Amino acid sequence: MTPKLSKFVPYALTGVLGMLGVAGALIAPGTNSDQAVLAAEPVSESSMTTRRLTSEQYKTVIADVFGPTISLGGRFEPELRVDGLFEVGAGLVSVSPSGMEQYDAMARTIASQVVDEAHRDLLIPCKPQSVTAPDDACVSEFVSKVGRLLFRRALADEERQAYVMAARDATETLGDFYTGLSLSLGAMLTSPQFLFRHEVLEDDPAHKGAYRLDAYSRASRLSFFLWNSSPDLPLLAAAEKGDLYTEKGVAQQVERMLDSPRLRDGVRAFFSDMLHFDGLETLTKDTTIYPKFNAQVASDAREQTLRTLVHALVDARGDYRDIFTTKETFLTQELASLYKVPLVNNVPNGSPDTWQAYEFPESDPRAGIQMQISFVALHSHPGRSSPTLRGKALRETMLCQKVPSPPGDVNFTLVQDTSNPVYKTARTRLQAHANEPMCAGCHKITDPIGLALENFNGAGGWQTKENGEVIDTTGSLDGIAFEDGIGLGQALRNNPAVPSCLVDRVSAYALGRTPSKNEAPWIRELKDHFAANGYVVPALMKEITTSPEFFRASMPGMDEMKEARAGVN
Amino acid sequence: MLKFSEETISRGDLFLRASRIACLSLVGVGLSAQAASAETRSYVVGWFTQAHYSQEGDCPEGLNPGYEEQVPKSLAALGFSEEEIAALLDAEDVETRYKVRDLINNRARIDGKPANAYAHPAAVVDPQLKTVVGDYAYGFDLDAKGDTPGSFEDPQTGDKGVDNELFRVLGCMDAFRGTLANAPTYSAWSWTMMKDSTPAWLITLEGDDLERDGPIKIYFDRAMEFVKSDANGKPRADMTYRISPDPRSHNVFEGEIRDGAVHITEPDVLNLLQDPLVFPEFTLHNTHLRMKIKDDGTVDGIIGGYQPWHPIYFAYAGGGLAVEHDIMGNIPGIYHLLRRYADAMPDPETGENAAISASYYFEAVPAFAVAPGRAGFESASAQ
Repeated sequence: MTPKLSKFVPYALTGVLGMLGVAGALIAPGTNSDQAVLAAEPVSESSMTTRRLTSEQYKTVIADVFGPTISLGGRFEPELRVDGLFEVGAGLVSVSPSGMEQYDAMARTIASQVVDEAHRDLLIPCKPQSVTAPDDACVSEFVSKVGRLLFRRALADEERQAYVMAARDATETLGDFYTGLSLSLGAMLTSPQFLFRHEVLEDDPAHKGAYRLDAYSRASRLSFFLWNSSPDLPLLAAAEKGDLYTEKGVAQQVERMLDSPRLRDGVRAFFSDMLHFDGLETLTKDTTIYPKFNAQVASDAREQTLRTLVHALVDARGDYRDIFTTKETFLTQELASLYKVPLVNNVPNGSPDTWQAYEFPESDPRAGIQMQISFVALHSHPGRSSPTLRGKALRETMLCQKVPSPPGDVNFTLVQDTSNPVYKTARTRLQAHANEPMCAGCHKITDPIGLALENFNGAGGWQTKENGEVIDTTGSLDGIAFEDGIGLGQALRNNPAVPSCLVDRVSAYALGRTPSKNEAPWIRELKDHFAANGYVVPALMKEITTSPEFFRASMPGMDEMKEARAGVN
Repeated sequence: MLKFSEETISRGDLFLRASRIACLSLVGVGLSAQAASAETRSYVVGWFTQAHYSQEGDCPEGLNPGYEEQVPKSLAALGFSEEEIAALLDAEDVETRYKVRDLINNRARIDGKPANAYAHPAAVVDPQLKTVVGDYAYGFDLDAKGDTPGSFEDPQTGDKGVDNELFRVLGCMDAFRGTLANAPTYSAWSWTMMKDSTPAWLITLEGDDLERDGPIKIYFDRAMEFVKSDANGKPRADMTYRISPDPRSHNVFEGEIRDGAVHITEPDVLNLLQDPLVFPEFTLHNTHLRMKIKDDGTVDGIIGGYQPWHPIYFAYAGGGLAVEHDIMGNIPGIYHLLRRYADAMPDPETGENAAISASYYFEAVPAFAVAPGRAGFESASAQ
């Protein structure tokens, strides 16, 4: 380590310790000794959570705080999906050494852009007395404003002072105010206070001996759930005024947030997580077989479905169940070519594709998001479709059912042999394969629904024949028979497990953990109200965020921890 | 069968509704009366090249020499002695090299004065380039005179009396030797260079039932968009193209499907605008076509006719010394061959033929064609 950088060891070390998953309770900077921050507490009944920012949240927060022109210049740690959601897994992950390096690289990249000549006048609220000398007042102003947004709370005096001193030390050593400020900002961006969403408990004055989430933690819960980002200034102000301890105050903020266009970001983030859209970022196909599929198509496919969902669920406040039968969507020309529908791009040659609203005709065999490329291509193999993967995905993501993984010693040769002269279609190959008793059980629950989507090849393109044989798309879902993908969509729409599953997922996403058994009555109530309200998703989000359960906090062992701490002191 | 028009697409509705598209298919229609019930299929041309059939022995005197061998001959034609030529070409100083370049560039003579050879090829001594003497060439019996002396036999169909003098002219130059499977270097270079920066060409078939033999109409149009590529760099199927409203690139032919192949039955003029820098306008007179519809939905075929030869020449000459050096060897020599072998459209006063028989090979993939202000066409694979 160079002498110049050695002064920053304490700040970096703080970040590393936090991110290596030091278990137990830490005293949160800026809180009194009765306020505790949990690090990587196991997900359990009514426990608090400490969640690592997901990659999407990290990107969104940086864009919100510093603007969309700031590039990140790094990659993120792999995320962990638990009970179908990254947002639940985010409470169980730490940061690896290589992940820390990436966070550090991104922090330096971001910080250097914030202070560069192109951005400093906009992003730094003051000018230093001299660009070669420390200016504590200016740094303090910057750190206070930015730190409040990054750490999602006001910085404590000693905390702010630490970052001011870091900038002073660096400026004195390096002789450049902005470089010093950049290093201090980099330290903030690698701090666990930024990278992890700590939830803080405090004594509940209304219930002696009990605890409640502090106001800032409430603000973060609201903003990450509804907007997938950190709290904005009005929400932080509401937290600081104590409004988030009252039903009325919470309701006011929820109304404001639900009315905001940023609700779309929250809904997009939820469905990206629920539908496993992270898989589309690395999805590749054999272009010899599917020459129309490329990385742009994969990206557009994700966007198509998210636009479809936002339009149907947020803009139109429509019935959630209709997403399985809707003909309305949005397309680019490249997607349209895969769907084999005309779409004019009225832009000059060489321009990026534009998005256009599109409604498939009544006679078209496509309807619902389960027939969009983002689903059928994602749940396929690189060179062939997969009724089993599609059926499994439908069961697990839309119906919240668990499909066991195949045993390790299964022989897949038959299903993989797409040129088999005897078994010409996926159906016949699967039937032959599923005759093996060890395979039959799972295939019974996946294949009858997955085969209904066999008119879509592994890239989402339309096909009616395989190896010259007409594809049979008949099937059934929980006793409801259908002829094709349209029928499957209708069966999904009418299946009570579908909206029930959504409530389970949304509530887990909101809490950052799987709801406990004690919360089952609340979940049942949510489901009843969801149905009564016409399956309108923002209404569900509103009910969740205005329920006492959303902010309920209790921590097993908290008293013992406090006693132990008292003993130490 | 659905049709749609751009007028429909530009309506104010948020979502395009195909039912309305179908109802409005004849808004501003420019098609024939029976179009209302006709089926249409469109394709975008993804590959276009001279249909050459270079075979062993079709240039018995060997190929035409390249630039390095042509230069001494050109200098000799200008009156330089062998010693002077050797001195000029052996010199390594820049000034002498520039001098040779200028001599070649301006080897035309007008009233005894140097002139640009590529702009004034008739004023350059004819180098007597060699031509194809083989028996086979792709194309059509354009003059309908049958198996006359000098005509070719089509290696694909076995038809005799084929007129393809452009192949005869170009076929003994290295850059123009090739087959349908291995395109001539020049064609491959020029098409590849143009396709990503030149509006695409569209072919549309219109008939009562395109699955069966019978009369059809064949449309050739220029799009407003370039050809879009797929993940393999080949034309991406089922993309949507807007048909250019420029009437100079709108062509309609009477045709038929016969034995599963598409033919023009009433040959006429085909005109398509192309890249102004390479080939400003592609024109065929007495246009003939045979196009095969393949099982995978794509098409390929041969299109031929009499092509005005001056534009052909100036497409090559526009590159000047660079193209002559890298590809052609002797560009004014091609001028003399084109003029000599031109076989159609005699000038009423001079009797000199203005066009030369030619054939081109093309491949096309299904596409949607949208006509501003008139009905559009369905992608061939969207049936």
